[in-house]
Amino acid sequence: MRILLRFLNGAILLYLAAPILVVVATAFGSSAYPIFPPQNFTLQWFHQFWGNPELRDALRISALLSSVSTILATSIGTLSALALVRYRLPGKTAISALLLSPILFPAIVLALALLVAFQRVGLTQTFTGLVAAHTLLITPFVIRLVMASLAEFDPSLEEAAQNLGATWSRTFFRITLPLALPGILAGAVFAFIMSFDELVVTLLLAGPELQTLPIRIFNYVQYSSDPSISAISTCLIVVWLAIGIPVYTRFLSVKHL
Amino acid sequence: MQSWSAKPPRSLAPWALLAPNLLLLLLCLAGPLLLLGRISLMGYEAGHGMIPIWQLSNYSKFFFDPFYRAILGGTFLLGAEVTALCLLLGFPLAFALSRARGLQRAILYFCILMPLLTSTVVRTFGWMILLGNNGFINHTLLRFHLIASPLHLMYNVTGVIIALGEVLLPFMVLSIDTSLLNINPSYYEAARNLGARGPRIFFRITLPLALPGIVSGCVLVFTGTLSAFVTPTLIAGARIKVMSTIIYQQAMALLDWPFGSAIAFTLLLAILILFAATLRFSERRRTS
Repeated sequence: MRILLRFLNGAILLYLAAPILVVVATAFGSSAYPIFPPQNFTLQWFHQFWGNPELRDALRISALLSSVSTILATSIGTLSALALVRYRLPGKTAISALLLSPILFPAIVLALALLVAFQRVGLTQTFTGLVAAHTLLITPFVIRLVMASLAEFDPSLEEAAQNLGATWSRTFFRITLPLALPGILAGAVFAFIMSFDELVVTLLLAGPELQTLPIRIFNYVQYSSDPSISAISTCLIVVWLAIGIPVYTRFLSVKHL
Repeated sequence: MQSWSAKPPRSLAPWALLAPNLLLLLLCLAGPLLLLGRISLMGYEAGHGMIPIWQLSNYSKFFFDPFYRAILGGTFLLGAEVTALCLLLGFPLAFALSRARGLQRAILYFCILMPLLTSTVVRTFGWMILLGNNGFINHTLLRFHLIASPLHLMYNVTGVIIALGEVLLPFMVLSIDTSLLNINPSYYEAARNLGARGPRIFFRITLPLALPGIVSGCVLVFTGTLSAFVTPTLIAGARIKVMSTIIYQQAMALLDWPFGSAIAFTLLLAILILFAATLRFSERRRTS
């Protein structure tokens, strides 16, 4: 019974990992379209991706969009988390549910809502519009992670500082901010990943001039097969795992999920 | 929670901290959703665009036209199928995860988190390589003469279920794992001391106490399937239509925003009702 369960779980884990393993493997295969298992090891697809101006441009747009959105979301989200954790507020549960709600909505619904609204004010197909949409979508992740880290440390440290005569702003910058910093950084990292991978909302708002990397990948795999897509995907997988796993295990442990 | 303040700076301070976020939600969430609701009640005429009247015909078209009703039914059926698959595969894995300790748990946890941190587009691309007529699965089965001709796994519901099940499985596993970890171990001891054996303990203690996790996992997977856009588009192409893909089609290809908005609003409502029902369920359990 126990051995059977172990075998079953091995198979389930393989199912879970299969597409990722396949994408990584095909990035190193020499045939002109991605097949698994790959034949002959090569690194040419990584060169090919880097030499492709469309993909490189997309990478640049994605990096810029995600950086700006992350900075905005981290500032906005940190302030909200502070308000929720450190103050008595009437209707706190409702407010925090409201602030976290953007993750609950289906992306395609938000995408259409933002499209019809942005159309009225001329924000579709603009960088500003994309930043606004991304900030909306990723701020909840910052709030959740910063709240988790603020709830961990002892408020009496702040009280002590105030009792010793520190002003509110001094307490904030010398005590609260340094102690919350790991949570804020974790929130920023997570928000950045979420923004960088966002596809649906961006797809409806972006227009031809602002094709992000996920949009390019989406279009490529729909109409052609090219192992350089495996190559760029492999880079993303490796980077996200390297920066994402520590954040996840430290702050989004299952109880916060 | 302890509140900061022996001396609160000003009672308006928390509202000042919340202001940027509330403004963002007002401008980019509440406003757009209201507008979406309004547009879903407008008329549309090809060549003229939207007609600013009040009517319900977009909704009646979606619910009563056989073509669209089939899509509505198909989307919910797909949700049920993917949820069943995830529950079937997720429970054994969550059970093992909740029992594992130390390094073993860390490794299992990593394997379950890895897909969550990989974008859906990339994972679906992996499934396209695996499921195609010349893909790895068909290639292997043909080589070992297990099948005579390639199985059709792409461009149909089977492929969508296989790929979406994989995409959403981590949510099921993590949610069941949470409730299994919350079970007080002394229950098991008590049951054993009273003479209960493995299967009886499993069905009388483990399963009922894991129910909240199972329910929330099922809701996450079901609503995840209803809102899934990338995987159905890439795996099924134009062959299989679900609610999210026809919303996209109406909005971007046919430009019938009023009808697209009506479908989007229906989808939104279905998902909010499901979340509200789960919340009621978990609250009732907590109080009883």
